[in-house]
Amino acid sequence: MILTIALKELRDTWRDGRFRIGGTLLVVLLIVSGVLAWQQNERTRAERDAATELDRRNWLEQGEKNSHSAGHYGLYAFKPTAPLAAFDRGVEPYVGSSVFLEAHRRNATSFLPAQDATNMRRFGELTASLSLQILVPLLIVLLAFGALAAERERGTLRQLLSLGVDPVQLVVGKFLGIALALALLLVPLIAVGAWLLSGTGEAGDPNLTRRILFLIGAYGLYLGTFLAIAVAVSARCRTGRGALALLLGLWAFNCVLAPRLATDLVEQWVPTPQLAEFDAAIAADLKKGIDGHDSRDVHLQKFTQETLAKHGKQNVMELPFNFNGLVMLESEKFSSEVYGHHYARMWDQLEAQDRATTLTGALAPMLALRTASMALSGTDLSQHRHFADASERHRMEFMRVLNEDLMKNARPGDHGYRVGRTLWEQLPPFVLAPREWDAVWTSVAAALGILGAWFAGSFLWLYMSARRMRLEVA
Amino acid sequence: MLEAKQLQKRFQDKTALDKLNLKVEPGEIYALLGPNGAGKTTTINLFLGFLTPDGGEALVDGISVAADPVAARRKIAYIPEQVALYPRFSGVENLEYFSRLGGGRHSRAELHALLERAGLKSDAAERMVGTYSKGMRQKVGIALALATGAKALLLDEPTSGLDPAASHEFSRLLRQLAGEKVAILMATHDLFRAREDATRVGILLKGRIASEYHRDEFQSRDLEKLYLERLGA
Repeated sequence: MILTIALKELRDTWRDGRFRIGGTLLVVLLIVSGVLAWQQNERTRAERDAATELDRRNWLEQGEKNSHSAGHYGLYAFKPTAPLAAFDRGVEPYVGSSVFLEAHRRNATSFLPAQDATNMRRFGELTASLSLQILVPLLIVLLAFGALAAERERGTLRQLLSLGVDPVQLVVGKFLGIALALALLLVPLIAVGAWLLSGTGEAGDPNLTRRILFLIGAYGLYLGTFLAIAVAVSARCRTGRGALALLLGLWAFNCVLAPRLATDLVEQWVPTPQLAEFDAAIAADLKKGIDGHDSRDVHLQKFTQETLAKHGKQNVMELPFNFNGLVMLESEKFSSEVYGHHYARMWDQLEAQDRATTLTGALAPMLALRTASMALSGTDLSQHRHFADASERHRMEFMRVLNEDLMKNARPGDHGYRVGRTLWEQLPPFVLAPREWDAVWTSVAAALGILGAWFAGSFLWLYMSARRMRLEVA
Repeated sequence: MLEAKQLQKRFQDKTALDKLNLKVEPGEIYALLGPNGAGKTTTINLFLGFLTPDGGEALVDGISVAADPVAARRKIAYIPEQVALYPRFSGVENLEYFSRLGGGRHSRAELHALLERAGLKSDAAERMVGTYSKGMRQKVGIALALATGAKALLLDEPTSGLDPAASHEFSRLLRQLAGEKVAILMATHDLFRAREDATRVGILLKGRIASEYHRDEFQSRDLEKLYLERLGA
C-alpha cells in the first residue's frame, strides 16, 4: 500500500508545474554553482601553482647570504585547496590561503579571497552546498505543503481513509513519493557532481570517498528531516494555505534567522578573541625571552653567562661553535613556544565557538548541517588550524636547519659567513598532509548526531501527526 | 450487512444520534431522510469510522467499526456528495489508484470495462478529471464500488446537483448494485430518488428514526406528504 501511494505521489509530483519549474530552476542553479565552483578552483589552483613555483625559485635563487639572514628573507607556505572545497567553500574565503614563514615571527595567514571580492559577496556565494541547504528545502515546502492538507480540502482524504488506508501508511507513502521525485532530480546531479568535483582538491585525501558518502548521508538526514516536518505540518493543518504559511515561516527561521541568531548567541557564549589583545599578549610574553638581535637584552646576557659557565669559557669566541647561531636557535625555540601557546589558546577558543555553533543545531537543523558539511568538505576551521599548525612546524624546522648551520659551520665571530643554494635545497617545499579521518570525525560526529536526532524526531512527529489526522477528518 | 445498534453520538451538549437502531440487508437500498442536522452524515461517518461513537456500535458485515475500522472499511464503498478525485490524473488512473488502495487488482482493460459499466466511455476515462462534470465523477465513484467488490455502499447526498438525466443514470447504477446484493445506505434530501430507488425509507429526526416505511408503503402513498407530516411542517 505504501508503495502504491508513493508511486502515485511521485507521478503526481512529476506532473505538478511547481515541481517542473522549481526543479528546473534548482537543476540550473546546481549546475551553474558547480561550474562556477570548478572554475574558481581551477583558477585558484593555477594561481597557487604559479605562486608556489615562483616562491620556490626565489628561495633557491636568493643568492649567497648568512643562513640566519635567509630566515629573514623567508618563504611562503600555500594552503592546498580542500578536498571538496568546490562543493562547500566553508570558511575558506575568510581565513587566508597562505602564510609567510620567517625568522622570529609566526605570521597569520594572508590573502583572504573575501578581501579581493566585491561588496556583492556579503549576499553570499552561490555554491552547491548553499543550494542544497536553502533552495531544496524551499522546493520541499512548495511540494509538500499540500501533501495532506490539499487532500483534506479536496475531499480525497475521506475517500482514501474510507477505503481502509491506514493514516500512517498514507503519510509514509506521501513522504516516500516526494522523496523519490526529489531523488530523481538530485541523485544524477549529485553523482555527476561528486565525480567531477572530487578530483578538484589539491590535497590527495585518502578519505575522499568516505567524506563524500558521509556528506550524502548528512544532506540526506537534513532534507529527510525537512520533508518529514513538511508532510507532518501538512497533515496537521486544516488548509493548504495554513500549511504553506507555517512551513515558509519554519524555512525562514531555519535558513535565514537561525544562522544569524546562532552567531549572536555563540558570540555571547564564547566571545571571539580580540586581535589587539592577542597581539599584545604575545608581545608581552616575547619580552620574557632572548632577543638575539639586541646585545643589551638582559635575557641574552644571562644566557651568555650560563652558556660560558657550562662550557668553562670566559668569552663566546672561545666556544667550539658559533654562539650567535646558538642564540638564534634558543631565541626561535622560545618565541615558537610563546606563539604556540597563544595560537593554541586562540584556536581552542575559535573551535569552542564552532562546537557551540554545532550545538545550536538543536534549534535549527541547518546549523548542524553547516558544521558537518564544512568539516566533511575540509573547509572548516579545524582544517585551517591543521594548515596553520603544519606551516608553523615547517617554519620551525626551516629555522632550525638554518640556525644549526650557522651554529655549526660559521666560525665564532665570523660575520661574513655565507652559504648558498646547496643549503637552500636542503629545505623541502611545504607539503600539507591530509587530516586523519579520526580528526575529521571528531569535528563532524556531534553535528551528525544532532542531524540524526532531528531526523528521528521529525519522523516521530510525522507518525504522531498521522495518528492525529484520523480524528481531524470529520 | 450494515447495522447500527443503540448508536449514540454527541457533539459537546448537542445530541446528534440518540440510540439509533438501523439495519440494511444485502440487496437493500435504505434511504435515510431528514432535515439538516438530523444526524444523517453523522450516521455515515460512524459507519466509516471517521467518528467514535459515544455509545452503541456500528457494524459492517458483523465487524465493529470502532474496534477495527480498517477491516470494516474494506467492505465499504463510500460516495460523497462530490466524489473527490485527483485533478492531474485521468478517470481511469484515479480508479486504478483508489481500487488498488481498496484491495482491487485490475488491468487497464478491466478498469475501462468497469468505468464503461458505470456509464463512462473510454475516451472520457482517459481525460484528466479536472474537466469532469459532477455526474462523471459520481460514475467513477460507482466504478470504484464495483472495482473493490464492496459489500456495502454508503452514499451521502449522491444526487445533489446532478441534472435529471445524470440522476436517472445514477439511480440505474444503484439498482444494479443492489441487484448484486450490495447493501446501500443513502443519506439524501432527494425524495423523488428515494421513492424511485429505495426499498426502505427511514426519517431521521433529532438523532432517532422517527418513522420507517417499506417500499410498498411509500409507493402507495405520497412520500413527500409523509415526510412533511413527520417533520410537523
